[in-house]
Amino acid sequence: MSLLSVKNLQVTFNTEAGLVEAVRGVSFELGRERLGIVGESGSGKTMTGRAVLRLIRPPGRIMADAMTFDGQDLMAASEAQMRALRGRRIAMVMQDPKFSLNPVMRVGAQLMEGLRQRDHVSRAVAYAKAVAALDAVQIRDVDRVMEAYPHELSGGMGQRVMIAMMLIPNPDLLIADEPTSALDVTVQAEVLSILDALVRDRGMGLIFISHDLRLVARFCDRVLVMYKGRIVEEIAAKDLLHARHPYTQGLLNCLPRIGGTRGPLPGLDRNAEWAM
Amino acid sequence: MTMASSSWSTWLREPNPASRLQSRLVQAWLSWLRFRRNPLAMIGLAISVALVLMSIFAPLLAPYDPIAQALGNRLLPPGTPGHWMGTDDFGRDIWSRILFGSRITLYIVLLVILTAPVVGLIIGTVAGYFGGWIDQVLMRITDIFLAFPKLILALALVAVLGPGMVNAVLAIALTSWPPYARVARAETLTVRNSDYIAAVKLQGAGAMRVILGHVMPMCLPSVIIRVTLDMAGVILTAAGLGFLGLGVQPPMPEWGLMISAGRKFLFEQWWVATMPGLAIFIVSLGFNLLGDGLRDVLDPRSSGR
Amino acid sequence: MGDVMALIEIENLSVTFNANGRRVRAVEAVSLKVGEKASFGLVGESGSGKSTILRAICGLAPVSAGRIRIGGEAVQSPRGKAFSAQVQMVFQDPYASLHPRHTVDRTLSEPLAIHGIGDRDARVMTALTDVGLPTSFRFRYPHQLSGGQRQRVAIARALMLKPQILLLDEPTSALDASVQAEVLNLLMRLREERGLTFLMVSHDLAVIDHMCDRVLVMQNGRAVEELSRTALASAQMQTDYARSLFAASADRMLEG
Repeated sequence: MSLLSVKNLQVTFNTEAGLVEAVRGVSFELGRERLGIVGESGSGKTMTGRAVLRLIRPPGRIMADAMTFDGQDLMAASEAQMRALRGRRIAMVMQDPKFSLNPVMRVGAQLMEGLRQRDHVSRAVAYAKAVAALDAVQIRDVDRVMEAYPHELSGGMGQRVMIAMMLIPNPDLLIADEPTSALDVTVQAEVLSILDALVRDRGMGLIFISHDLRLVARFCDRVLVMYKGRIVEEIAAKDLLHARHPYTQGLLNCLPRIGGTRGPLPGLDRNAEWAM
Repeated sequence: MTMASSSWSTWLREPNPASRLQSRLVQAWLSWLRFRRNPLAMIGLAISVALVLMSIFAPLLAPYDPIAQALGNRLLPPGTPGHWMGTDDFGRDIWSRILFGSRITLYIVLLVILTAPVVGLIIGTVAGYFGGWIDQVLMRITDIFLAFPKLILALALVAVLGPGMVNAVLAIALTSWPPYARVARAETLTVRNSDYIAAVKLQGAGAMRVILGHVMPMCLPSVIIRVTLDMAGVILTAAGLGFLGLGVQPPMPEWGLMISAGRKFLFEQWWVATMPGLAIFIVSLGFNLLGDGLRDVLDPRSSGR
Repeated sequence: MGDVMALIEIENLSVTFNANGRRVRAVEAVSLKVGEKASFGLVGESGSGKSTILRAICGLAPVSAGRIRIGGEAVQSPRGKAFSAQVQMVFQDPYASLHPRHTVDRTLSEPLAIHGIGDRDARVMTALTDVGLPTSFRFRYPHQLSGGQRQRVAIARALMLKPQILLLDEPTSALDASVQAEVLNLLMRLREERGLTFLMVSHDLAVIDHMCDRVLVMQNGRAVEELSRTALASAQMQTDYARSLFAASADRMLEG
């Protein structure tokens, strides 16, 4: 049985300028695997991720024929039931750790807060678990990081702390929304391989949202390509280079390459029938 | 008629305006649509508009002369035929006096709006933009003014200048600019380092042009919000000065002065002080609600999308 | 380049910021030369000081040592209008570099007003067409434009004064891949048409390689290695850092 099943998901925003359809009928199934969602900004990839957690604020509205997580109907769940799911069974890592960590709280305290409040464990146990979590994301000087405030950490370090924090309750599903795009390329590779190993070892489901096709290709099992709120192509990651859909091909071809020709980069044809 | 109104509304929603004017109107229209969603703000707007209408049409609306005394009708209670708010100790119709009083209130409010925020905006943006010793000097002056309670400083100024409406306005304006300078400076400090300011400096723009054309438009919304929220305070200070006999002089129908006059009969003829008090209360509330609503619409941080 | 006079010459440039009493060296003794109509790239990770060099050229960052020469002459402080007409910059984030309360028209006519250039209507329309925007966008506000459209406006603004040199500070890093391609193509075209000299900063080696003839790799405020385009394409780096940057480039991931 699949872990997450989404059928005909729609997200709309009723604004002054009229109705904005951010997601228009997205359906997918997710097992304990790594699913990538790629698309440009405004393609609805982030909204899809947030809609699974029902984290869309008014005037946004979520509609779906069905959205079930491990047998539980997410559309019918109460706000209290959703709160119990969020963080504990479905975790989310955001783009920039600067905005996701509390700036006036030490990292250690933030890591232990959830454990102490949710699971009512003792201070010592919580501390040990927090240290273990930081170890798992390969932070070497754990003691310093535990005592540090978020602004004292580098971007890559902050994002590792975020991942550690999300993984403490051992969730079944991790939604990572552009988890590395605020990081330098060399750090990016490190963080990704850590995330990869954790997901593999713990048998989690992963939804990896990114604008970077190349990153997703290397890192996921299956890829959904989104455009204007719709899925235009679903493809195994290893076949991505041989994608058939013109949009996916366009996304790949428009990237410059080291040692490539100097000619104009091929643009994306947004007027074809699939874009309607 | 419906045809015309629908073409107006499409013109106001045009994504590709054809002129500066249309572009500005489209933005104003969208802000208005957002503003309209907030019922409390709409109440505030209604009260403010009512105040303006009252003061414009006071001579038409008022059944009696606000100043002429009619000693035969002294201290009639509310509900008396012809005097639905009652009369005061000189037999003057309270409703007529409140109507004419709105003119004075509005006059004071407008004069303060035209002076204090302008002074504050200039001092704040100049201090924030240049920094260094200019900032130090200007902000210490601001601090000196801020250090005194508003009413006490106004009292001292009126005592020096002599009582009267114009002097009261002057005193209020002189005491209320420092908060605007603070707000404008804080806003300038964040704007100063932004890329769009760097870009216009890089084009060779001088300090005057940067401050007037680029920094001030960004500070304006916060200052406007602050002004509407402060209006209640201005009205109360003006009323306070009137109450203490240092503002508008009798027999002018100023609300604070009316409360002061009604103080003597507060227990027996409660309406003499209560009616102008209610007027001050409602108008202050109106400006406050309006200010809150404007914050949602004008705040550059919330209108980013 | 040798004896040929360089258009941009930077000698031993150091930039030191004063942050809360602490002195932070953002750039240390960096030298580079860019010939006329050449395209030079600066590449490095965050904190490498690459953007600070551009800002120092414009007078937006404090130069603590070294010399900056444009066209053989040392730059004046403050930079002045003659400098503005010669050197312009395109900023990284098109969401932050356009004044949120000015229409496109106002943004584009501002440089003309500053320099007292007439015939503004026609010039603004031409500028819009040149960067591939419809003239109907003239009275839009930035928030009515997409990221790519905003960056086109920023490029148009930089070109209003017909400068010789364009400083590009990660002009496409905030944009989607397909939009990045469009903006890079636009920059290439404009450079060819107008004989512009580019000094471009990016963290993306593939973008720099696509746009530039030479590239300087930077790390922690210091110059690590200068490479020609051919040396980069054939992976002939001398230093480990340049090699690791090359290996981590997103461009390599598909093969990896």
